[in-house]
Amino acid sequence: MTRPGPREIKAMADVVGVPVSPEVATRIAASIGPAFEGFAPIAGTLPFDLEPSDFELVQTAGSSK
Amino acid sequence: MSAEPALMSLTAIAKAIAEKKVSSREATQSCLDRIEQWQPRLNAFMAIEKEAALQAADEADGALAKGASRGALHGVPLAHKDMYYDVGKVVTCGSKIRRDFVATTTSTALRRLKDAGMVRLGSLQMAEFAYGPTGHNAHFGPVHNPWNVEHITGGSSSGSAAAVAARLTSAALGSDTGGSVRMPAHFCGVTGLKTTVGRVSRAGAMPLSQSLDTVGPLAQSAQDCALLLGLMAGADCEDPTAVAGPLPDYMAATRQPMKDTTVGVPSAFYVDDLDSDVARVLDETVATLKREGARIVKVELPDQRQLSSASQLVLAVEAAAFHKRWMIERPQDYGPQVLMRLQNGLAVPAITYLETMRWRGSALSAHAAATAGVDAVIAPVSPIPAPTIAESDVGNAPEADAVLPRITRFARPVNYLGVPALSIPCGFTRSGLPIGMQLIGRSFDEATLLRIGAAFQRVTDFHQRVPNFA
Repeated sequence: MTRPGPREIKAMADVVGVPVSPEVATRIAASIGPAFEGFAPIAGTLPFDLEPSDFELVQTAGSSK
Repeated sequence: MSAEPALMSLTAIAKAIAEKKVSSREATQSCLDRIEQWQPRLNAFMAIEKEAALQAADEADGALAKGASRGALHGVPLAHKDMYYDVGKVVTCGSKIRRDFVATTTSTALRRLKDAGMVRLGSLQMAEFAYGPTGHNAHFGPVHNPWNVEHITGGSSSGSAAAVAARLTSAALGSDTGGSVRMPAHFCGVTGLKTTVGRVSRAGAMPLSQSLDTVGPLAQSAQDCALLLGLMAGADCEDPTAVAGPLPDYMAATRQPMKDTTVGVPSAFYVDDLDSDVARVLDETVATLKREGARIVKVELPDQRQLSSASQLVLAVEAAAFHKRWMIERPQDYGPQVLMRLQNGLAVPAITYLETMRWRGSALSAHAAATAGVDAVIAPVSPIPAPTIAESDVGNAPEADAVLPRITRFARPVNYLGVPALSIPCGFTRSGLPIGMQLIGRSFDEATLLRIGAAFQRVTDFHQRVPNFA
């Protein structure tokens, strides 16, 4: 997984409807980038049938797919 | 019994009032006297409701005289983080945007404490929209650490921790989405409980991240936290994410001994790059637990950096979604740092966000497997004691960009996993700043953490020490 750069962030912010300047997009890229890198080993590796509600299952039953 | 009611613990003052050894008015006046003394120095309160508090205290005394107790907190003066809706009251959420917002409902957590008889002293300062780890607030000014007012309290439950530490209230509600109960508890030398996601209803509490938000108390002791958790926990028709089912007797848990307890010490991450005082206090705390009968074992935890990163991505997206309308309509009304944090959420694609949510169950399962042999894991709340307000003032101090990620490093994995963690005062730096450790537990097993914390506090006095006003 690649971390988004300022150009991608500016485009995403425009689509979301909260436009940001190129300077702000650059600042966001630097700020959130490390989180993308930290999550990179997981991204794109998850089994097909996982879904968010598995969390509640594990919480209450201690089980997981 | 302490001569000054405000210095008493929550459980002690509640008992003293119930037994008519101290009146609610005396307890309330004692807190108000200390608030008057400390508030100019700490900036811990958002609003002080002196007349209303005294009137409520008199009503509580009157009712008790007739034999009518409302519950376990009858007549006990308390104040809470200014994000818990209380019908008819202004709830600022630490923000300019909600400076004049009057709540039309009462949060479930707060209502349950009110139903038990608490007297409202006012409301407590906090980071703007609970989105900041230091205690700075661009609109209302920073909250100051009672142990040294040049230092931060930590956030976002800044006023809650400062007020409990200075004995302006015997306990206070906070909230923990990314460490906001545990970090202020650590920096200010009080006990703080981050509850399991789903343990306490969030209805009527200002949202920041629906997947990570938790309601939790800060107080002098684990026993005090147990009392409040017992009153607040459980199902709520206003919040379907609040889990139903039988609740343990948390107060009874705090009376149980330490023996037959196994505590895990992480072999990495939480023991890396520690300030020397924090490392010393961790060693001393582990030694105390061992001396009191706990079995100490090393634990190999899954990669905590991945958990922390996932936590940051979830928080960024969910906070930005809650705030989108105001980010469009009123961006100028946010403090610059909070707006910057909110904008970070714009950079996360939907699929990445959903991957973090899909992985959460597997990550919790892996954590449970790694800690299957222990009752709790002990770790520092933060690698450092409280930095100064100046050096952590993001935007003004060049060191701040390095300080902030360091402060929050040990807090976020717990939020992603949704598990409970109890922060307990465990020592002091050589310069007199408090140091706390977190006991990290299993989902919905706050009782074990409270048992270990209370047993530790029976043989230590860090939680009883009070900062001097000198």
